[in-house]
Amino acid sequence: MIFFKRTLPLVIAFVMGIVAISIYYIPHQAAVDLNDLLSKWDRIIAAFAAFLGVYSLLYLHAGRLKRRQAGWGYSVFVYLGFVVMLTAAIYNNGAGPLVALRKGGAYDWLYTNVFVAADASMFAILSFFIASAAYRTFRARTTEATILLVAAVIVMLGRVPIGALLWESMPELQQWLMNVPNMAAKRGILLGVYLGAVATALRIIFGIERSYLGGDE
Amino acid sequence: MQRLTQFACIAALFWTGTALASDAVETATGSKTPLPDSVRALPPPLPTQIRAADVPSDNGKAVVVTWLPDASTPSLVRYQVGVATNPSGPYYFGGEAPAAGPIVKDDPKIFGWSPVNPDHQFLVVSSYMVPPATPDGNPERVELRPDQTYYLRFAVVGDSASAELAAPMSVTPRQNWIKLHKLNNLIFGLFFGVVILSFIEFARRNPNMFIRKIAGLDAVEEALGRATEMGKPVYFVHGLNSMGEVSAIASVNILGRVARRVAQFDTTLKVMNNDPIVLAVSQEVVREACIDVGRPDAYVPDNVMFVADRQFSYAAAVDGMMMRERPATVMLMGYFYAEALLFAETGNVVGAIQIAATDSYTQIPFFITTCDYTLIGEELYAASAYLAREPKLLGSLRGQDVGKAVLIAILTIGTALELAGIHWLTHLVAPL
Amino acid sequence: MIQKLLNIDRRWIFLFIFVGVAAAMLFPLPLPIRPSSDVKNVYNTIESIKGKPNATVLLSFDYGPGSEPELQPTAISIIRQCFRNNIKVVGMALWPDAVGLAQAAFDSVSRAEGKEYGKDWTFLGYKTGSVTLILNMGEDFHGAFNVDYRGNKTSEMPVTQHIAKLGSFDYVVTLAAGKTIDGVWVTYAVDRYRIKLGGATTAVTSPDMFPYLQSGQLNGLVSGLAGAAEYETLVRTQGSATRGMQPQSAAHLIIIISIIIGNTMYFVQRRRDRRQSVSGNEGTRS
Repeated sequence: MIFFKRTLPLVIAFVMGIVAISIYYIPHQAAVDLNDLLSKWDRIIAAFAAFLGVYSLLYLHAGRLKRRQAGWGYSVFVYLGFVVMLTAAIYNNGAGPLVALRKGGAYDWLYTNVFVAADASMFAILSFFIASAAYRTFRARTTEATILLVAAVIVMLGRVPIGALLWESMPELQQWLMNVPNMAAKRGILLGVYLGAVATALRIIFGIERSYLGGDE
Repeated sequence: MQRLTQFACIAALFWTGTALASDAVETATGSKTPLPDSVRALPPPLPTQIRAADVPSDNGKAVVVTWLPDASTPSLVRYQVGVATNPSGPYYFGGEAPAAGPIVKDDPKIFGWSPVNPDHQFLVVSSYMVPPATPDGNPERVELRPDQTYYLRFAVVGDSASAELAAPMSVTPRQNWIKLHKLNNLIFGLFFGVVILSFIEFARRNPNMFIRKIAGLDAVEEALGRATEMGKPVYFVHGLNSMGEVSAIASVNILGRVARRVAQFDTTLKVMNNDPIVLAVSQEVVREACIDVGRPDAYVPDNVMFVADRQFSYAAAVDGMMMRERPATVMLMGYFYAEALLFAETGNVVGAIQIAATDSYTQIPFFITTCDYTLIGEELYAASAYLAREPKLLGSLRGQDVGKAVLIAILTIGTALELAGIHWLTHLVAPL
Repeated sequence: MIQKLLNIDRRWIFLFIFVGVAAAMLFPLPLPIRPSSDVKNVYNTIESIKGKPNATVLLSFDYGPGSEPELQPTAISIIRQCFRNNIKVVGMALWPDAVGLAQAAFDSVSRAEGKEYGKDWTFLGYKTGSVTLILNMGEDFHGAFNVDYRGNKTSEMPVTQHIAKLGSFDYVVTLAAGKTIDGVWVTYAVDRYRIKLGGATTAVTSPDMFPYLQSGQLNGLVSGLAGAAEYETLVRTQGSATRGMQPQSAAHLIIIISIIIGNTMYFVQRRRDRRQSVSGNEGTRS
């Protein structure tokens, strides 16, 4: 049992890690073909994972419905949404599930008028949240905070036409702030991030980090 | 028919140049027509030092032709290459370059940083077009094959006249086993790997290694304790990343450590996922963590849940749950996008202690303004090692720091050398 | 009073934003739009390939409905520019929910510009895999997408039959809301297959793209709604992005005003606190 739960996954992680790194440096057609094959496997596994997600979601909400847990009404909506969208997609405006999606059907209507609208509304809420977070936390408490605050105001003005209307060099100043000081900070963070990513990858390939398998050792 | 005409035009351009010796042009349909006088009248000057060679560090499916353009060449000419598998032909259109096309020193990936003839022009040929067998057919693109000898004819095509190299050149593309232009990357990768593994070994022998404090991680204990006191759940919200990304792996590693503490404290841990594979791994990690601390009953499968795989559906659902259940602690771990502030502001509204860790550079400011503690960039990757306090893992952190010191040294020296007009260090570390 | 203002209920701020944005939509003011160099680079690259035989642009729709207001106008403008210059356009999606958005963009512009499906444009649809799909396309385009979204063979359609691999496209533009520009296209397509890549992204993620612009791995960037409005200016067709500039300007102004008010209150409060503590100390001394 330990072999399947620990040893085999560690061996797979090691072998696939080394193979994936090697392929990057080998231009030979054999390496290109292996890369092609591995990427196809990855896509097949990813497609199966969708079933896992759907199963988990439906199982969880079935349990909530069965137990009449607080907020079970939301679970009804999960099932309702799932069944309605699935039926509309399978019906496909009378053309069936084996052909490409037809325009003008129920699925199309639901997508445009429910999904797109709801999704865009969630994104739009962000502007309200940014405003409230800016009001609460953007305070010139220290010199550094003041510099940040002034930079933020310039960037906000420079990104919209009204900035150029107030001062015609505002967009250029905004671009300079983004391209020079901002990039310098970003590169510093990114160097650390990429080194950290390499270190984490090495820890996993060599089996030093195992907590992703569950448990420690 | 229109397709055929288009192809015939391209093919005719090439054959106009290549067939001067026979005073006739073979069109895509195979018929021969006499050349107009104007074409014969003023052929543009042929470049010198025309050479064909295999493209290095590739899978043997491309060759490169280089030449030194004549200074008097008009700017409107094009250089064309015809490809055949026999010296006698037929030659098919392999590609063309404009008069002001790329020069050798522009492509260090093929020619290196110090090419012998830096001002020569070049053209990479990886396939040729075979005209259709029937008038209704389509031209076929044929890729070059490794180890097959090809014969190349070189021509300069002007608006009204052309010139062609008398003899075809032969070249055989070969497959290679190493990308020489990535050698710097490989060497640095190996060096960095050796440094990290050495420090892991060093840490095994000297377990008392100093690691600077990370306030956000020290606060984990306090945050979990607060949830226990208040009898409210702890939310662990994954970012929008798949299991193939390091940030997801790092988050899962942190989840393992958090789940152990939560199981010991007997608090409810709810894990929100938007990726089915991350979900499966998270379930396993939490279950194993509960078993490890002797509390298998603490594992509730329903509490490690798949919420939604779409960004804003995920944000809406998690925010809704936060508003209803009012968790005492919210941990936002992984790579986030625009939903970051939606989570963090909602967490702020419900009064939760919030610890965020992300390598998403654009979301760091949002987390810093709204969360109690924020782990920036690499701190996310270091978190698992920091929480575990295991010497092997801490050793890798020290190795990471040494790697960073080397990078800073290269950056500082490289900048100074560049200012002095010396480029070798830049070339040494440049990605190709 | 000041303490009250400092801890104002966030719903008041929400209300100010709502009123400001609504007012700007109802009473729009014409604002000057000046295309930036990053936006011009994408536009000029497409202009530079017109007239080339079989010139083809690949457009990757990597966003969802949430980013539609920011990215859809750019998609429409790029398709319009290609069609007007007789450049073929191939669409694909790395995000499943981009399929409907891509179809809508293609349908509206192809109808307006009189372009034919299969000959002037095609849409390949969504495929899973992101990175692995790009790697497949880099080696064998027809293998990665053997049929388009409508089931036509890509090796037989005039718009795609000359495309052998990713490198066969004259230009690739990815319209991305997430990490696909830097995480997928730059890392795998540009680095491995040396394609010319342009990008369009939401304003919030555009700073992530600047390193790639500076290194030349990304040759141009249309950033957010402002970038989309600049692109509409370049193709001389005003659309939703140009109209969106007024409410966006209003929202930015309100945020700036709220920051100024917040700071004024903060400083007044701080001065008052200091005075109180000084008088408190004096009281103790006396």
